[in-house]
Amino acid sequence: MTNIEQKNAPSPSAMGAQPTARQMGVVQRFLLSNEFGLIVLIVLFTIVFASISPMFLSNFSLYAMGRTAAVNIMIGFSMMVVIITGGLNLGVGAIGVCGAMFSGWLMQAAGFHWVPACFGGLTLGAMLGTANGVMIVKSGLHSFIITLATMSVMFGAMIFITQAGSFREISPAFSALGRTKILNVLSPMLLTSVVIGILLWAAFKYTTIGREILAAGANPKAAELSGIRVDRMVTYAHALSGVLAVVAGLMLVSRTGAAIPSMAGQLGQDWLLPAFLGPVLGGNLLTGGRISVLGTFLGAFLVTMLTTGLLLMQVGAFWVQTYLGLLLLLAVLLDLARRSYLARNKLV
Amino acid sequence: MTRKSLLTATTAGLMLGLLAAQAIADSSTRVALVPGGPHPYFAAWEQAGVDAAKDFGLGAADYRVPQKWELSMQNQMLESLVTQGYNAFLVFPGDPVGTVAIANELAGTGAPVMALAGCLQDPSDAKFCMGTDTGNSAYLGTKELLEVLGPDAKIAHFTGFLVDPNTQLRIDAVEQAAGEGGAEVVQVIADIDAPEPAEEKINAYLAAHAGEIDGIITTAWVPAVVASNALRKLGDKRIKMVGIDHDEVVINAIRDGYVHGTMLQNPYGQGYIGSFVADRLRSGCTVKEDAPFKTIALTDKFIDSGTVFAGIDAVDNYVGSMQTITAELFDGFEDTYLDCS
Repeated sequence: MTNIEQKNAPSPSAMGAQPTARQMGVVQRFLLSNEFGLIVLIVLFTIVFASISPMFLSNFSLYAMGRTAAVNIMIGFSMMVVIITGGLNLGVGAIGVCGAMFSGWLMQAAGFHWVPACFGGLTLGAMLGTANGVMIVKSGLHSFIITLATMSVMFGAMIFITQAGSFREISPAFSALGRTKILNVLSPMLLTSVVIGILLWAAFKYTTIGREILAAGANPKAAELSGIRVDRMVTYAHALSGVLAVVAGLMLVSRTGAAIPSMAGQLGQDWLLPAFLGPVLGGNLLTGGRISVLGTFLGAFLVTMLTTGLLLMQVGAFWVQTYLGLLLLLAVLLDLARRSYLARNKLV
Repeated sequence: MTRKSLLTATTAGLMLGLLAAQAIADSSTRVALVPGGPHPYFAAWEQAGVDAAKDFGLGAADYRVPQKWELSMQNQMLESLVTQGYNAFLVFPGDPVGTVAIANELAGTGAPVMALAGCLQDPSDAKFCMGTDTGNSAYLGTKELLEVLGPDAKIAHFTGFLVDPNTQLRIDAVEQAAGEGGAEVVQVIADIDAPEPAEEKINAYLAAHAGEIDGIITTAWVPAVVASNALRKLGDKRIKMVGIDHDEVVINAIRDGYVHGTMLQNPYGQGYIGSFVADRLRSGCTVKEDAPFKTIALTDKFIDSGTVFAGIDAVDNYVGSMQTITAELFDGFEDTYLDCS
C-alpha cells in the first residue's frame, strides 16, 4: 500500500516544475490581456498628465477622480452583467434614477433609516430589471428594443409621480459617505466599487448561477441542451443589472446629498456612454459569454482619468470630447501595438 | 521743502501709486463662470468676464463651459477648476438641489460662490442668487401678449425641460396671467429646450392646430427660436407671439412682424456684476445681513438681474436696453448688498 502510494506520488522535481509552468501560462495570458493593457495605459497617462500638470496628483484631484470613477465603474458593471448574456440594457440610467428616487422617498417621506431605504431602492432596481428580463424572454425581442421602450416608461412614470421634485432630507450618515476622505485622498465610494467588483468576480467565477449566465451568453442553444434555463439566466442578469444601476444612483445621492430626477439626465441617457465605455474597453464581448470585471473597472477608471486630465490641462471645453475620443483611439491602438510586439518577439 | 526733497517725495508718491495700481491690477481673484452646459443664453458671460477682469483688475474671470449638459460633468469641471487655482465661482446650477453639495464644497475651500441665472435650493453656502425672476418674466410676457390679443384669447405655451423646477414656475405664471386676463392656455408643450424636440413638437402642433390658437408664449430660448421660424414659414401674422431672450432669429421675426416681442434677460449683467462682487467678497467685504433680497420658490437670497419687454419699438436697441438694466443694477449694488467697512 505504501509502495503504491509512493509510486503514484509525483516526484519532488515534477511537483516543482508543474506549478511553475502553470504560473508562466497565467503570466503570459495576463500580459496579453486587455486588463494589462489598461494598466499600462493608466500608468502612461498618469505620467503624462502629472508631468504637464503637477496638480493632477494632488490629494484633492485624486480624491475627486476616485469619487467620479466609482460611479462610472458601477454604471459599467450594470451594463457588463447584461452584455455577457449578449444583450444590452439601455435603461441603466432610468432604473438607477428610479431606485435612487425611491430610496430618497423612503428616507424623506416615509422616514426610514438609510439602510432599509437603500435596500428598498435596490429591491425596486431588481424588480425593474426583472421586468425587463421577463419581457425580453417572453417577447423574444432583442433587449435593445425592450429596454429602449421601458427606459422611457420608467423615467416618465418617475417624473410623473415625483413631479420632477427632489428628496433632500437624506440621512446625514448616508450623505457623509459621499464626502468622507480616507487618508485625505480616498473616497469610500471607490472602496465600495472595489468590494462590489470582487463580489462580482467571485460570483461569476465560483457560483453555479454565475457560470450558467456566462454559458447562456456564450451559446444559448448549447446551454439549453446542457440543461441550463437560459431564459431564467437572462432574467437574473437583468435583475442584477438593475441592482447595480441603483447602487450607482445611490452613490450619486450620497455625493449630492439629495435624490434628484436629473441625476442621469433626460431619460437617464447621461449614463449610456460610461455604461458602454467601461465594459467595451475592458474586453467584454458584446456577443456575450466573456466577462472581465477587472477590465470594466480599469476601463471606467481610464475614461474618468482621461477626462480629469484633459480638464486640468484646460483643453478648450468643446475639444474635450474630441480629445477624449482621440485618446481612447490612441489607447486602443497602443494596446494593439503592445500585443503585436509581444507576439512578434515571441515574448508570450 | 527743497526742490530735491519735493522731487523725491513726488517720485516716491508716483512709485507708490503705480505699485498700488499694479497691486489692484494683479488681483489674485480668479473667477470661474460656469454654466450648466453649452447654451446660447450664457454666451454673454464670456464677454462679461473679459470686461470685468479688465475693468476691475481681476487675475482672471474665465468662462468655462462643461461640454455637455450633465450634472456629473459640471461637478467634475468645478472640481478641476479648484485644482487649477480658481478661487471664486459663479455657477448656473446644473440642478437646484443636486449642485448644492458641490457649491458647499467649493465654499469650504474659502471661495465665494454665487448662483447665476438659476438658483440653488436653500439652504446652501452660496452668497446669493442673481438671475431672472423666471415666474415674473413669464407672467409679464403673457400680460404683454394678452394686451394685443384681448380677452377670450386661446394661447399655447412652449417651454423648457420638466426636470428644471423653473419650468413649473413658468407654467404656473402663464396660467395665472392668462386667468387674470380672461384667456385660456389650451396647450402647454414642455421638455423642448433643445433643437430636435422643439422642431418636431412645435411644427407638428402648429401644422395641426394653428387655426385654433390666437397667440403663443414661449419661455425658453430654443422654443422661442423654433416658434419664430415656424410662424415665419406659416406666413400668417394673425397668431401673435411673445418670445424670450435675444436670439437673432427672434429679433428679426419681431422686426418683420411675425413676433410681437420678446422678454429680454440680462446674462451680461449677471456675469459682469457677479465677477465684481466675487472680487469684493475676496477683498474682505461681506454680504449685508439686511440686504434687500427677494424671496422666490428656491431661495430667500434672490437678486433680480432684470427683465424687460422689447417689442417692435425697442427691438433695434435691445443691446442698449440690456446695458441700461446692467447699469441700473450695478449702480449702488455695493452699497445695497455689501458691507465693505
